[in-house]
Amino acid sequence: MDITVGTLLLIPFVSAATILLFLRRNGKIASYVSVAAAGAILLLSLQIIFSETASSVPESGDTIADSGVTWLEIADFKVVADFRIDDPEARNESKALLFVVSFVGFLIHVFSLGYMADDAGKARYFGGLSIFMFSMLGITLADNLVLIFVFWELVGFSSYMLIAHYFHTKEASDASKKAFIVNRVGDFGFLIGIVLTYWIFGTVNLSELSQLMASDPARATTGIALALACGFIGKSAQFPLQVWLPDAMAGPTPVSALIHAATMVAAGIYLLARIDFLFTSEALSFIALLGAAMGLYAGFCALVQRDIKKILAYSTLSQLGYMAAAFGLGLEGVALFHLATHAFFKGLMFLGSGSVIHSCHHEQDIFKMGGLRRRMPITANTFLIGVLAISGVNFLSGYFSKDAILLGAYNLNLPVFVVLYLGAILTAFYMFRLYWIAFCGEPRSKHVAEAHESPSVMTGPLVILAVLSAFGGFEALWPETLFAAFHDDLHVVHGMPGHMWMVVLGTFAWVAGALGSRRLYGQVGNEDPLIEKAPALFQLCYSKLFFDEIYNFYVTSIQQRVARILEVLELLFISGLMVRGSAGVAGLFSLIGKSLYLGRIHGYAFWFLVGTVAFLAYAAGWFGHF
Amino acid sequence: MDTIGVQDFLIVSVLLFSVGFLGVVLRRNLLLVLMSLELMLNAVNVALVAFSRHSANMDGSLFVFFIMTVAAAEVSVGLALLVALYKKRQSVFSEHLTMLKN
Repeated sequence: MDITVGTLLLIPFVSAATILLFLRRNGKIASYVSVAAAGAILLLSLQIIFSETASSVPESGDTIADSGVTWLEIADFKVVADFRIDDPEARNESKALLFVVSFVGFLIHVFSLGYMADDAGKARYFGGLSIFMFSMLGITLADNLVLIFVFWELVGFSSYMLIAHYFHTKEASDASKKAFIVNRVGDFGFLIGIVLTYWIFGTVNLSELSQLMASDPARATTGIALALACGFIGKSAQFPLQVWLPDAMAGPTPVSALIHAATMVAAGIYLLARIDFLFTSEALSFIALLGAAMGLYAGFCALVQRDIKKILAYSTLSQLGYMAAAFGLGLEGVALFHLATHAFFKGLMFLGSGSVIHSCHHEQDIFKMGGLRRRMPITANTFLIGVLAISGVNFLSGYFSKDAILLGAYNLNLPVFVVLYLGAILTAFYMFRLYWIAFCGEPRSKHVAEAHESPSVMTGPLVILAVLSAFGGFEALWPETLFAAFHDDLHVVHGMPGHMWMVVLGTFAWVAGALGSRRLYGQVGNEDPLIEKAPALFQLCYSKLFFDEIYNFYVTSIQQRVARILEVLELLFISGLMVRGSAGVAGLFSLIGKSLYLGRIHGYAFWFLVGTVAFLAYAAGWFGHF
Repeated sequence: MDTIGVQDFLIVSVLLFSVGFLGVVLRRNLLLVLMSLELMLNAVNVALVAFSRHSANMDGSLFVFFIMTVAAAEVSVGLALLVALYKKRQSVFSEHLTMLKN
């Protein structure tokens, strides 16, 4: 392990340990410790990213397994754990994600200083953020599947801990449990995938795996790829495990920005990018269809939400669908590029919504907002940049990343393109809907009318992220070493035909979405106008296709019954026959023993004599010789 | 009738031992139980002396002296215990001494 990489992992760990062990009652110091740790992580990762360029020539492959610590050894199974940024195969992906995590992470830490200023559980919150940074960096830097899985679970845990920050409300505690359990379902598939990988290939080290695959590409199987993709489906909240992400919005808003928009849910895409060599073409097209369907489905769900954070959550689902589709088309560089730009503009919009919620006394219903453009100009304008970027307005960051995905789909897989394009129109439509309703018009409740701009510790990160959302699409503005992960696939897309068409279609998508929603939502009252205009559509979208109801039915009516049957069997056989039964046999012997125990000296003398006679008889051979 | 042989001594010894054992098992008074114990010890002594004479060496007789000494010590301890017991419980009858069970 490189010493700087080790330090990088140690910083957030030490920060979390210090806060959770010693600073539980001292929120102010805890928050400074955590933010300082995030700052140190940012500086150190920038140093790692840029110092590595000089020695970027891949070394000979056989040094990979030699370094590192033997973490686990059971018979033949041996896990050599190491954290590295210079894996020849994944160097660029690691660097790109490392930059996104440390940079967006730092901005969100700073924003939290303002957002959580008067929160009672401040120390717990910042401790959780540090644990999250530790686990997320672990995923970024781990060099084998088992270690990734360990940190995969750790981000799941920190997500659980931070969603449940307002644990005294039922909503938050339920949501945290739901997030944890639904993720567990996906992670089980991931675990099976890891076991299968070891069974087939005899190693879980990613570099060794890629070498094995390079020498014999026929060894890839769709089964393993899809089992490993289960981890992605759970963590990135794709079909059919998408139900946890909207509920997870019960956590503090900066957490939603950091974990449930910018980094953790995007880790699923990163995982796919690390194991791309294991995917067969069938598995890839499955992922592409899954992602495209999610892009459209989440768009429809977002269309009818009233809660500002839920709209953003569904939009995150939809954008993750775009990334999955890009990966499924074989354009993982484009997927990672969209991951990076999405981290900027979605982080920006979540923080913007946090700024709004903070100044409106935790009002989250957009139909009670309105007119915030005048009361909070910086928040409103940066939010508008985010909306423009996600809608794919020409020359903003989302335009470059999303239209690259669309163009790739147009040339490689037409059905996926159609679904994604409809999703793009919807994206513009519901994002502008959010903007028109929340920021334009007149204030529709008392708190909102009295709202005022947030302090500069909160608007600062907004402005920085807005600049990145606006200009993050230009290749020339990126340092070469960071852009390397996106470069190849973006140039593949660049070489594809149909650019003119794409520009026209892309422009049409956002203009149509923006104007359509302006027409529908330009003047709104306290109710969604869609209820009157298209009640059937509204009801259908509002039901979210009954996923929650189906799962609920499954859990309460099917799983519960099976569990009840198993419980009866358990009571009958394990608890009844085996536990009580063996205890009963012992009890029977004890009854006999107890009857010999009279408490009178005569009895004991008698049994003593009987015993002596029995011994003598044995010695004399009356019972036969043994 | 011939001279009295070792078998006759053994019969006496077994009878004495049985009387002693029955005394231990059946008597309720611990004083008598203690005496019956002594009787059993002495039954063994009789057998030992008979064997010693029969085999014409002194090993058995030597044993008897040890047993008698130990028995004297044992009785003195036993009697002292009984006196202490009586002082505490005002009874030396075994049916009153069932603290272990109840």
